[in-house]
Amino acid sequence: MLKWAIRELLFSPQQLFANIAAVAGAFALVLFFEGIFAGESRQIVAMIDHTEADVWVMQKGVGNMHMATSFVADWKIDRVKNVKGVKKVTPILYLSSAIEAGGSNWFSFVVGLEAGDPRAGPWKHAGGAQLPAAGTAVVPDIFASDAGLKIGDTVRIIGRDFTISGFSSETFSMANSVTYVTLADLADAMSSLGIVSYMLVDADAGVAPQELAARIMDEVEGVNVLTRDDFIRRDYSIAYQMGLEIVWMMTVIGGILAVLLTGFIIYAHIAERERELAMMKALGVRNLAIYGATMVQAFTIGALALCLAIAAILLAIPLTEWLMPKVSLAMTMDALLKTAGLAFGVCLIASVLPVMRVLSVDPVTAFQQ
Amino acid sequence: MSSPILTANNIVKTFGSGHTLVRAVDGVSLDLWPGEVVTITGPSGSGKTTLVSILGALLRPTSGEVSIDGEALSRMSEAELSRLRAQTIGFVFQSFNLLEALSARDNILFPAHLAPGGVKAAAPLADRLLERLGLSARQNALPKTLSGGEKQRVAIARALINRPKLIIADEPTGNLDTKSGHQVIMTLHDIARDQGHSILIVTHDQRVEEVADRVLWLEDGSIRDRKSEARIWVRDPVCKMSIDAWTSTIFLDHEGERVHFCSEQCRSRFQIAPKDYPPIKPMRPRIDMEEQA
Repeated sequence: MLKWAIRELLFSPQQLFANIAAVAGAFALVLFFEGIFAGESRQIVAMIDHTEADVWVMQKGVGNMHMATSFVADWKIDRVKNVKGVKKVTPILYLSSAIEAGGSNWFSFVVGLEAGDPRAGPWKHAGGAQLPAAGTAVVPDIFASDAGLKIGDTVRIIGRDFTISGFSSETFSMANSVTYVTLADLADAMSSLGIVSYMLVDADAGVAPQELAARIMDEVEGVNVLTRDDFIRRDYSIAYQMGLEIVWMMTVIGGILAVLLTGFIIYAHIAERERELAMMKALGVRNLAIYGATMVQAFTIGALALCLAIAAILLAIPLTEWLMPKVSLAMTMDALLKTAGLAFGVCLIASVLPVMRVLSVDPVTAFQQ
Repeated sequence: MSSPILTANNIVKTFGSGHTLVRAVDGVSLDLWPGEVVTITGPSGSGKTTLVSILGALLRPTSGEVSIDGEALSRMSEAELSRLRAQTIGFVFQSFNLLEALSARDNILFPAHLAPGGVKAAAPLADRLLERLGLSARQNALPKTLSGGEKQRVAIARALINRPKLIIADEPTGNLDTKSGHQVIMTLHDIARDQGHSILIVTHDQRVEEVADRVLWLEDGSIRDRKSEARIWVRDPVCKMSIDAWTSTIFLDHEGERVHFCSEQCRSRFQIAPKDYPPIKPMRPRIDMEEQA
């Protein structure tokens, strides 16, 4: 039966490919939305990831950067600097805000940097000044090209105009972007003198980030301290949860679509081969063996469709970057495992759907012309 | 002393109820002995397919008992009936019913999956059958590339692969030309003679009767032995096959005479161009009283 099940599938390669492509379409839909959310979520933590500080210090009770506000008195910078094992402390002021420029608005992390210190600045330079000076801003290159902005143009941040002095790369996505100004300018705009939002702490060589974080927590009151990995995990998780319902909905829709498609394909296969199945039953093949064969067919289609969907998404990632630079698409192991699990469920359900059809095949019909 | 392979005792099969009740098979009894070739013939709608389905353990009768190789089918579960069909009965169908995706050899070996020895044990027999039936050169061919005669020979080999004691063939020559049909008839005859298989053939083809030990006539669900009855042999003007005019069901009246055909195909050909098929002169029927002679 196994041989028949596989040969029967391969009997019409064009039909098999069309079937696999249809199911792959549904799986690709799931992978695509998973990929977009993974990509956008990854972009949300891009700054924390790329600045590579060992430890982040923030206001007590705050554990995120995305959608969060943190205020730490600036005198605590020295307190942190004095903790054993601290090599360097880089304070930043931070705000999530809408930026206006060239008739467009976009949501951005606005990061205030200490003048002349590149430690927390853009990790990839794309033109003009690398760091902001007083009254100027470094904006994402993709937004600039989309809004038609050039060096010397103006952007408006919380009611104050800044002149664009440079462009950064890899700092823009649909969900988030990063705009850099000086700490002094941002403090002035926010009327928040004597305050910083976060401190990026670099550890001395040989000092473990967890150890340093615990030490700062002990020695500096009123702050929360997280290692870079913990900070990324928490922000990523928050960002992902915000889109989780949509991702879940798309997964369900893609899953239902895949079940219906695979089920229909297997059902149509059975309907098409009803006479052969009647003959098999007449020869003594039992229903269970026929279910087994349909299951093999469903799982073969499902597995091949999954491979095709993964290949399509891998191809779509560079293509999306080229065609839609605003969209961040990423393939994660988590999404792959989830879609593989979905594919397994789809195949299982799809192979059970035609049970009634198999049962209803009357072996006596093998005698009919 | 041997016992019959197949015994049917007062088989009745009804469909529907009340005013719509149909007695498709009505009190049929028969025995089929080892090595015996028996044909069942009769007009369309006489209950041949229903009877052969019951005798082939595919359909349970309303009443009566069928035993195959000494085992009463009524006491068997569906799983046991499946096993019996797989190991004791070989089926040959009119429309061949080969698996389109498998080669001729794989089709022959297909039922071997259902036998205790499996495919490995059956492979040498498959090779011998391929050779005996003249299919060795075509063993890797897919059914769509085989001729009708080749397909039916593959089907016969498939029926024999598990060495069944009983072979049930439904119109095995129905879709074949004269030459291929004759080959199939002789193959079935040889199988019964050489290997002792019992063969039950449902057919309209009068040529099959020539190799049959017994000819059973089924009409309105009842059966009778017809070997002893008189026949009127006439010839199909298209394929020249001998036909018993008494039992022929395919005919038409042409220029004041009744013309009999072996199949619908021959009748259609005749209807399109009757002038191409002049009646064989003299078209006087020959009365054959075999038993009396």
